[in-house]
Amino acid sequence: MTPISRDFAPPLKLIAPFFRFGVIFYLLAMLALLFFEPTFNYQQMNVAGWVHLFLLGFVMMVIFGAMAQLIPVVLEVGHVVVDVYYIILPLLGVGTTIMILGFWFMPALLPYGGLLVLVAMLIFAFENLATLKKTDIRTLTVKTVAWSNGYLLLGILTGFAIALGLTGDLGIDVSLMLKAHVYAVIGGYVVLTIIGLSLILIPMFSLAHGFEEKAINMAFKLVITGVGVVFIGALIAQEWLMMIGYTINTVGLFFYMWQIYIIAKLTVRKELDVWAKSMIFAFAMLTLSIILGLLYFVTGVESVLHASVWFILLGFVSSFITGHLYKIVPFLVWFERFAPLVGKEKVPMLHEMYSKEGAKMMFNFTVAGVIFGGFGLLFESDMLFKAGGSFLFTGAIFLYVTMKKMLSYGE
Amino acid sequence: MCSISKENVFDAISTVIDPEVGFNLVEMGLIYDAIIDESCNVKVIMTLSTQGCPLHQMIKQWVFEAVERIEDVGTIEVEVVWEPAWNISMADDNVKEALGGM
Repeated sequence: MTPISRDFAPPLKLIAPFFRFGVIFYLLAMLALLFFEPTFNYQQMNVAGWVHLFLLGFVMMVIFGAMAQLIPVVLEVGHVVVDVYYIILPLLGVGTTIMILGFWFMPALLPYGGLLVLVAMLIFAFENLATLKKTDIRTLTVKTVAWSNGYLLLGILTGFAIALGLTGDLGIDVSLMLKAHVYAVIGGYVVLTIIGLSLILIPMFSLAHGFEEKAINMAFKLVITGVGVVFIGALIAQEWLMMIGYTINTVGLFFYMWQIYIIAKLTVRKELDVWAKSMIFAFAMLTLSIILGLLYFVTGVESVLHASVWFILLGFVSSFITGHLYKIVPFLVWFERFAPLVGKEKVPMLHEMYSKEGAKMMFNFTVAGVIFGGFGLLFESDMLFKAGGSFLFTGAIFLYVTMKKMLSYGE
Repeated sequence: MCSISKENVFDAISTVIDPEVGFNLVEMGLIYDAIIDESCNVKVIMTLSTQGCPLHQMIKQWVFEAVERIEDVGTIEVEVVWEPAWNISMADDNVKEALGGM
């Protein structure tokens, strides 16, 4: 017999803390929303602090944990040094915390927090790239892992340059570097990673088969090109070049959504569990975000751009991640605690390992929060925005409680 | 002459349940064939519902262990193939109904 895949799978005790801390950071980010106004400038330090709390603390933390598990599955080889994830977790967690404190209270702390995050991400990116070299598999998902890690490196370096620029240690144009940094990290890493993972995870959980992959291949090429063009345009301060990049990326996202539509048409599982509902909501919010993004380019109204960014981050990225947590975490716990018992005693099904009611409450409150908050930003209404923040925080509490129960199931 | 039949092998494998969907591999239509020779050596030809399945090797192991429990079985081989690709029409009606495919 071929050795079982447990040989490649990292232990639960290594991965679970990424999800646990990711959800805690999410809870804090939603709590922090209650102290914000719907009118702001994206260069404000407190806004940058919140964005890093959300993106580093929640999005990156969960993606890193998920990649620790998924990379061996996608590449069909084990990690080169899986134990580096034990180092990445505290570096990322502590670094993020110091950075947020720096943004909110003491800018002098920024380079220190930034350095810890930089080291965490360098370790993550190089370990991933070294693992990639072990395999000859070159599927689209593998290519997205390679490209997204390349952009992550660029994003980290520009981010660290900004941290030094803000404290006066480096003479750079922070606003230009900021655009390059934001685009490399969000477009180049987060969105590209989601595109790559979508091709594995969505058909797997929806049992869709036999679909063409032309659209997602096109989306992949357009997004990597578009991000590169925007990145260069931002560095050399050429607005026209950045516009070309934005256009290429928008077309890329259309192809991505076309691919999701093709997969959705072939979906076998019609059950609307929390994952399916989260995916429907996530892609509806991505559509709304693109529409608002296009509207911003026509009108130039700043609040439309804020709403567009809100819907892509909290509507699309966040729902995509939280929806998948209800599939991935039960699987990891089951794999660790129940898989060895198969054939020997009754083992639970994955869907029995989380509270359906808790997940439903999380979903409903989050949907309400995203919509109220987004429209609060769009119309610059403090009341709508605060209502959105309250719903999101309540949804985050349900996420935290259901996650805690999932992780302790069968202990 | 071997007394193990294809039905015996399928019955044994029907104890293996996919934890994600909650159905056994046989009713899911994932077991394509079982070849049994005169010495009771068994070769199971099966597929999985998705190529990126993280349980790939583990499900193979469970199938192996299920067949191993058949009395007088010889050597066992479990081969996972991707052609023909699995689709819902290969599953039993109760699976199709439960998943909403009918």
